[in-house]
Amino acid sequence: MSNTLGIGVVLLYFTVLVGIGIYGAKVSLKTREDYFLASRGLGSIAVFMALFASNITAFTIIGHAGFAYGTGYGAYGYVIGWSIFITPFTYYLVGYRSWLLGKRYGYATQPQVFGGIFDSKLVALIFLVLLLYYTLPYLVVSIIGGSLAFTTITDGVIPYWLSSLVIIGISLVYTIPAGLRGTVWTDIFQGAIFLTVACLLLMALARALGGFSAITGQIMVENPAMLQRSLSPGIAPINWFSFAFVNSIAVIVFPQMFTRILAARSSSNLKRVSLYYPLALAAIFGVSTLLGVWGSVAIPGLEGKDADNIVPMLIHQFLSPVWMILGLVVILAIVKSSIDSQLLSVTHLVTDDLLPRFKRFTSETAVFWGRILLVVFAAAAYYIALVRPAAILSIAAFAFSGFSVMLPVMIGALYWPRANKYGACAALIFPAIMLHLWYLEILPKWTTFGFMPVFPAFILAILTLVVVSYLSPAPSQEQKEKTFGIFDKVFTGGGN
Amino acid sequence: MSFKVRLALVSLIVLIMFILHNSFWLWDLDDRVPLLFGFMPFAFSFYVGYSILALIAMRIIIRLAWPDPPAEVLEPHRGEGHLE
Repeated sequence: MSNTLGIGVVLLYFTVLVGIGIYGAKVSLKTREDYFLASRGLGSIAVFMALFASNITAFTIIGHAGFAYGTGYGAYGYVIGWSIFITPFTYYLVGYRSWLLGKRYGYATQPQVFGGIFDSKLVALIFLVLLLYYTLPYLVVSIIGGSLAFTTITDGVIPYWLSSLVIIGISLVYTIPAGLRGTVWTDIFQGAIFLTVACLLLMALARALGGFSAITGQIMVENPAMLQRSLSPGIAPINWFSFAFVNSIAVIVFPQMFTRILAARSSSNLKRVSLYYPLALAAIFGVSTLLGVWGSVAIPGLEGKDADNIVPMLIHQFLSPVWMILGLVVILAIVKSSIDSQLLSVTHLVTDDLLPRFKRFTSETAVFWGRILLVVFAAAAYYIALVRPAAILSIAAFAFSGFSVMLPVMIGALYWPRANKYGACAALIFPAIMLHLWYLEILPKWTTFGFMPVFPAFILAILTLVVVSYLSPAPSQEQKEKTFGIFDKVFTGGGN
Repeated sequence: MSFKVRLALVSLIVLIMFILHNSFWLWDLDDRVPLLFGFMPFAFSFYVGYSILALIAMRIIIRLAWPDPPAEVLEPHRGEGHLE
């Protein structure tokens, strides 16, 4: 009975996604602007869910719950605390000004926005290379994480290779025909599913474990250290401080997030997104934290990577098989909503910023190449996810930090008229090299002064931008006017 | 109020939120503050409150320093960028 129901639910879920793809293709125009940016016409709910669903990965439910299992309630503040405020704040700080320039000059990606501000093809190229360099391994790791979770939750019935194939294949079904519009519509559907089911799952598990108060009381008796952050060495204050520079400020630099902000219809849409984003982030990570901590007393004794399976194990041990099916759909929804957006964004970068360096083509041809490249990148990502080369995984380990240290150049470009292309190039390349030297342990650990490498690299990026910009010629008045003239009109009404 | 003053106030809000997030001196309260709603210890409930504070902070920032653009600014500027 539950097998039939399970197959039915999963089939229904896939049918909805395919339907969205077919309908999206019907209403889409065959222009580059429509395929990659939905004609810059996304409303508040669409932008909100597109950003939120792309932001939430398998780590949220699987990895974070595993981390909370070993760390306690402190995992909540450590991983998502600062993000709750700063991620939506960066939608204002960087997103709004970039959106204004996008509307005015037709910019659609970071290489276009920042290459345009500095009037430099080299800045655009460095942005392109770094974004592809960090996004591709991150995409592969997302597929690996999602496929492992999918295999775990099906108890190995669906093997890893098939899980990867299903996840990538279904993503392509609606992304190829409908582009950004297809991924955004499925994000609304999938985001609503995983938020709703995650909350229901929390309540069902609380009930199965004797109630919210009872399970918390059990933790206080059997594992009181879970309540005290000072007893968890992994979240010591210096790590806590450094981690604020890892994931929270990286989000706006992810090309898939940046593009979705440029696709917003109006300033009001972005305001609403920034306003309510903190609550959505706090809710989904709150559920994940509680599940992990509860798991530490409900199923004690898991070590290392085994703890990452705590959510499927809780469902398996304490709830009916129907919940396993719902859990499966949640994992699929979370994984696919981030993978499809990453796939589309790398395709967008190559189609819009790399290919035109060699050959100019029409808008319609760009869409054609975009579709071809989607398949190429998906096939490459699938192959790498099967082989799992160590080099790719080690780059993915510091991809978030790599994105974070690009932020000072983005902020400098949008707020400091004296910043120039020389400063931007140096501040993009130098900290990226230093990050590699630290993460690959070529430089000794003491050179980071006890912080995670991302913090000194971030400071280096700021210093490099300022020093090199001051040591080289200032941008021309015309170039500054092109960007800051727009901002003056918006923020000061034309005055200062 | 000039936009520079508004931007300074926004920076102050960001600084306060950062200090609150890194308020290590409050960690001593983790096992002393009663559970919120009977199941949220301080290490958890602090961030439930922080998320509401973040919403309020964003509301203030939007009012202070996020004006809507005049229509002329959004007029596409032909000949620049990557317009269709």
